[in-house]
Amino acid sequence: MSTILEVRDVTMRFGGLVANERVNLAVQSGEIFAVIGPNGAGKTTLFNAITGIYEPTEGAVLFDGHDVRREWTPRVAATGFAVGVASAVLAVLALNVTALWQAAVVGKYVYGQPFPWGEAIATVPGTLHAAGFWATWGVAIAASLVGRLGFGAIWHSQRRTPDLIARSGVARTFQNIRLFPEMNLVENVLVGMDQHFRCGFWSCLLRPPWFWRERATMRRRAFELLKFVELDRYAGDLARALPYGYQRRLEIARALATGPKLILLDEPAAGMNPAESADLMRLIRRIRESGVTVVLIEHDMKVVMGISDRIAVLQYGKKIAEGTPEQIRNDPVCIAAYLGTEVIQ
Amino acid sequence: MGAPRKMPWKMALALVALAMIPVVEPSLPQRLAISEPMTDVFVYAILGMALNVITGFTGLLNLGVAAFAAIGAYVFAISTCEIYPFQLGFWPALALTMAVGALAGFALGAPTLRVRGDYLAIVTLGFGEIVKDVLVNLDSITKGTQGINPLPPPTVFGAELGSRGQYWLLLAFVVVVFAGARSLERSRVGRAWLSIREDELASRAMGIRPDHAKMLAFATCASLAALAGALTASRLSSSGEPSNYDFQVSVLALCIVIVGGIGSVRGVLLGAIVMVGMNSIVLVKLTEMIGNTDSAGASRLAETHGMERVWVFITTWAQNVLLSPTNWKFLLFGLALVLMMMFRPQGILPPRAEHEAPPEDEGTGPAPAKGAAP
Repeated sequence: MSTILEVRDVTMRFGGLVANERVNLAVQSGEIFAVIGPNGAGKTTLFNAITGIYEPTEGAVLFDGHDVRREWTPRVAATGFAVGVASAVLAVLALNVTALWQAAVVGKYVYGQPFPWGEAIATVPGTLHAAGFWATWGVAIAASLVGRLGFGAIWHSQRRTPDLIARSGVARTFQNIRLFPEMNLVENVLVGMDQHFRCGFWSCLLRPPWFWRERATMRRRAFELLKFVELDRYAGDLARALPYGYQRRLEIARALATGPKLILLDEPAAGMNPAESADLMRLIRRIRESGVTVVLIEHDMKVVMGISDRIAVLQYGKKIAEGTPEQIRNDPVCIAAYLGTEVIQ
Repeated sequence: MGAPRKMPWKMALALVALAMIPVVEPSLPQRLAISEPMTDVFVYAILGMALNVITGFTGLLNLGVAAFAAIGAYVFAISTCEIYPFQLGFWPALALTMAVGALAGFALGAPTLRVRGDYLAIVTLGFGEIVKDVLVNLDSITKGTQGINPLPPPTVFGAELGSRGQYWLLLAFVVVVFAGARSLERSRVGRAWLSIREDELASRAMGIRPDHAKMLAFATCASLAALAGALTASRLSSSGEPSNYDFQVSVLALCIVIVGGIGSVRGVLLGAIVMVGMNSIVLVKLTEMIGNTDSAGASRLAETHGMERVWVFITTWAQNVLLSPTNWKFLLFGLALVLMMMFRPQGILPPRAEHEAPPEDEGTGPAPAKGAAP
């Protein structure tokens, strides 16, 4: 077994508040790994750091041994350069547009006569500096710098985003269900499958035959996923009309639709009755059998102890224990964290 | 499933009825002539559908859609008008206009990707004002408040279109834009837009790239709004003056989207008919009727009954600037919005609950059209 997710010394700090402190986890491929801990222990924060919603203050999250980040490729550099050039051209045009227009269009065009394109274009170099040579070049250089730096700043702030993480094979659900309420179940799942579509804007607009072929395959796959979570009967219903337990299952189906290798479930059994959580345990086992590694946060100890291969315990942002369910159940530190220690008078 | 749905018969009927208006009109009395103002409805329908892409589908409040229409109108006017050397044909100029519109959409979209909600509304509002000011002040090119005119009439396969042809051309554009907006809505592009509207964080976590989707929405909206602007310019044979594209236009487009049903393309069509129909047809006709009643025999009727003074009072009252029906329009728009918010906040025709039915019995290839099946 290989390590599919490694959380290495992750610290999340929000101002003075330390939500996670030097947390280390190593999730093996194919296992069901649970993260437990009292409320406010930093479990969801850790999930957010893993899935790119937060950038860890310190430490790294490695998926399959890689820190998932956008690379500074020649293409990115070229785009940045192009943005700079475009800003410079626009700025120079904005500065000198009236003079250029006067010289090239008004000065050369005689009503009714054919327009001398060559002569008009020949006036451009001479009038490009109408606002002054240095003024024009100063503005051009400044605009190109602003454009390039702006592009660079945006690119830098977008190096590790949730969509990139999702596209690299890590899907998640949310503690407070976040479905697309006004879309039906099939559409919710289809949003998850977006990265597997090959049709672009023009195909979607003009709908050539391959659009219809892709649409049919994708919809069939979406329907199969709904079957997998036993919601196919409600395929055409709006997500907001579903009962709570079903919404959780739909969220799992939508996450599976991204085609993940690793799925993070944030309190999947919250608010479920015993029968529903038993169903959920079966579902989680089936997800694992389909080859997806599962990491879950859960408070329901029956679920956690029933399905996890390994468990990590967080308290006050620190990992205090890790091991098999048997080990955790008998670990005095964990018992103390959950039940408190006896005060000896 | 799988094949394009057949057009519902109600819609086909409405389309035929709309197309027949200029045909039957000459045999009707002058005061029932509505084909001229109906073109207003069509242009606003396109503008409404443009705004619906960004505000309805993607959920980004845009208060500057008129600016894109202005850009479209001016690009179209500059590239076709005979006072300038470019003098492109109708269709190339339209293509150019839509391309420039899309670029303008990118130019506004790129720096505002991180701005959301009220803040985006303010930014787009500012953009609208900036564009208007630039158009006024760049008068060596835009001719300032004069506008650029005259523009040649639209041509189809080299034939110039008369007023009836222009009416049908506009109607055809409405149909094409409608079909395009529906196609996009029911594809991955539209789903990405809707998912951003519903929950941006969740859609990101599902691998949707919101930046791409939003830029695409901005460009689509701007391109369609520019088309609306160009078609207006072509119909009026003038770019119009910059103040024709002020905040009121953006607000009217927004009213159309809200009244029709945010996110519903069919609703936007209906909204355009209701709002612009009221504005350009009902109120105008009412004003004309009241203004013309002097000669309608009613005054004679009043005289014979010894009520001249009452009649004079009524007619002067009706012709009072403050009280003529066309000047009630903002009152009525406001009232319409308030009533909508109270009784039907989702709009007249909200987006269908089942956007796409489940694919229960779906084949692999495009299924035959419903009519072709045995």
